[in-house]
Amino acid sequence: MPRITSAAQFLPYILFCGAILAVPSIVSDPFLLNKFARYLALGLAAAALALSWGYCGILNLGQGVGFGLGAYAMAMHLKLKTSPVHTGTAGLPDFMVWNNLDHLPWFWQPFHSGLFALAAAVLLPALVAALLGWFMFRARIAGVYVAIITLAMLAVTNLLFVDQQAYTGGLNGITDLAWFEMGGVEFDPYSPAFYYLSAGCLAFFLMLGMVFTRSKAGLVLRAIGSGTDRVLFFGYDMASYQCLAFSLSASMAGVAGMLYAMVLEFASPTFMGVPISLSMVIWAAVGGRGSLLGATVGAILVNGTQGSLSETFLDSWQLILGALFILVVVFLPNGIAGLANSLGARLSGRARGMAARSAAPSALLNRR
Amino acid sequence: MSYLELHGLEVSFDGFKAVNGLDLSVERGELRCLLGANGAGKSTTLDLICGRTQPTGGRILLDEHDITYDPEYRRARRGVGRKFQVPSVFKELSVRENLEIARSRHPEPWCTLRAFPGRRLSPRVAEVVEIVGLEDALDTRAGHLSHGQTQWLEIAMLLVQDSALILMDEPTAGMTIQETGKTSAIFQRLRGRHTLIVVEHDMGFVREIAETITVLHQGRRLSEGPIRVIENDPKVREAYLGSGGISHA
Repeated sequence: MPRITSAAQFLPYILFCGAILAVPSIVSDPFLLNKFARYLALGLAAAALALSWGYCGILNLGQGVGFGLGAYAMAMHLKLKTSPVHTGTAGLPDFMVWNNLDHLPWFWQPFHSGLFALAAAVLLPALVAALLGWFMFRARIAGVYVAIITLAMLAVTNLLFVDQQAYTGGLNGITDLAWFEMGGVEFDPYSPAFYYLSAGCLAFFLMLGMVFTRSKAGLVLRAIGSGTDRVLFFGYDMASYQCLAFSLSASMAGVAGMLYAMVLEFASPTFMGVPISLSMVIWAAVGGRGSLLGATVGAILVNGTQGSLSETFLDSWQLILGALFILVVVFLPNGIAGLANSLGARLSGRARGMAARSAAPSALLNRR
Repeated sequence: MSYLELHGLEVSFDGFKAVNGLDLSVERGELRCLLGANGAGKSTTLDLICGRTQPTGGRILLDEHDITYDPEYRRARRGVGRKFQVPSVFKELSVRENLEIARSRHPEPWCTLRAFPGRRLSPRVAEVVEIVGLEDALDTRAGHLSHGQTQWLEIAMLLVQDSALILMDEPTAGMTIQETGKTSAIFQRLRGRHTLIVVEHDMGFVREIAETITVLHQGRRLSEGPIRVIENDPKVREAYLGSGGISHA
């Protein structure tokens, strides 16, 4: 039996990853590919939130911090790749010239390396989250207070980036980015190569997240998420488990932000704003916060709908989206994933019922 | 030196001293019962030992280590297990998953990250499940269990945790006579291998299991000894005056 259960749990993930990786063989329109790659990046951000919120009960309203840090890390690298063309002055990015800087700040230097930027996009968000988490979770802060603190953290980070105009580009952010290049491959955001990068990152982190949640650590986190400190009395250090989940989630958000900056070819403080962070909560809720895949699908569907609705109903699409959110929260508390699960359970229940009926005679024979 | 020693332990909640200069020593392998009227400080004493409550004075020594200010999870790793008065299990998880959490010999994240619990029970867990009779409920969500079954699940979790020192707060509350009998049989098996401290109101049960009884009164130790001594202690009689002595408590 065990093999069947775990295979059944992995199957939707494998199907989904196969499906998103197959898209470029069907779709060749570069604009569509670019749009899909963007949805996948946002899907990854929603999956990251599901990991901390759905599994561990940590409602992070500041998911934009990790997302934005990842975006800026990549944007800094891509900016350094372009600046000589635009400014010509010792390779200094244009906005630094406008802000009267005469040399590149020390913390910009390592971003000449693409590998460093990648590592920073993954690790920096995790580091910030671990630090904040250490203070929060050591102090046994939970529930709505976590939401408030993470929201405050988001506001602070956003203000810091807007304020430090000479180093971050201020309100404009970092614009006019080059294409990312690694191993001789150039990731033009309208190319299949970039789509594969986006889909590959999403597939990798979905699988990683799946494995993580199936591990015993994932089980302990689910126990913590149910809102008791009972695990402490079995010797589990609750705070380090929460820090772990919080950091992993921030890391995933960082990668999502990195892809998002690459696909839009800019990074701006709106990436670490309240609207996008709260949108992630909506995506995860619609898709089902208890499932990484559900949250991902939720993000893709909501953004897809948003894309088509905002074209037809210029002003009212947010109303329609709000109504959709309320309907889902009221009628499908576990989101689309919950709906799929209960449908699946009903189907397999019927199948099992049939199996039991056909097995019954032989069971009777055995008993005799 | 005894296995567990409490020296002048005290805790006050807004000026009310729930435990007030309590001295207690329990030998390794002993089964100790704590008795006392409501508010005598029994549950608070267990809370102090397992770390849920921080003392405002005094010391707790476990196996010669001072654990007075250790966080709960460190004490659990040193071998302190606790059953709560209100059964405390993970309601969202299945019985199987609850037992897996209780299997906590390696509780550090870097160990649990590499562990992937399968559906097969370890021999030890299978044995415990049989003892408490939860074989058919393994995949039931703990929140859907009856009160009695939840009690059994928590006891099973403690057996799986296999702590050296087990603190039991009213283990037989809400159990039928048969179930209480089964619990006392389990306790007889644990005796000697584990050190147990049991808070219990059911005097029949206490008589069946206790060697030494400590009676608490207003956060202090009032009397201590075998059941005969306790029942005839004039101080105990006085504390329980009006309720006809401890036998009718």
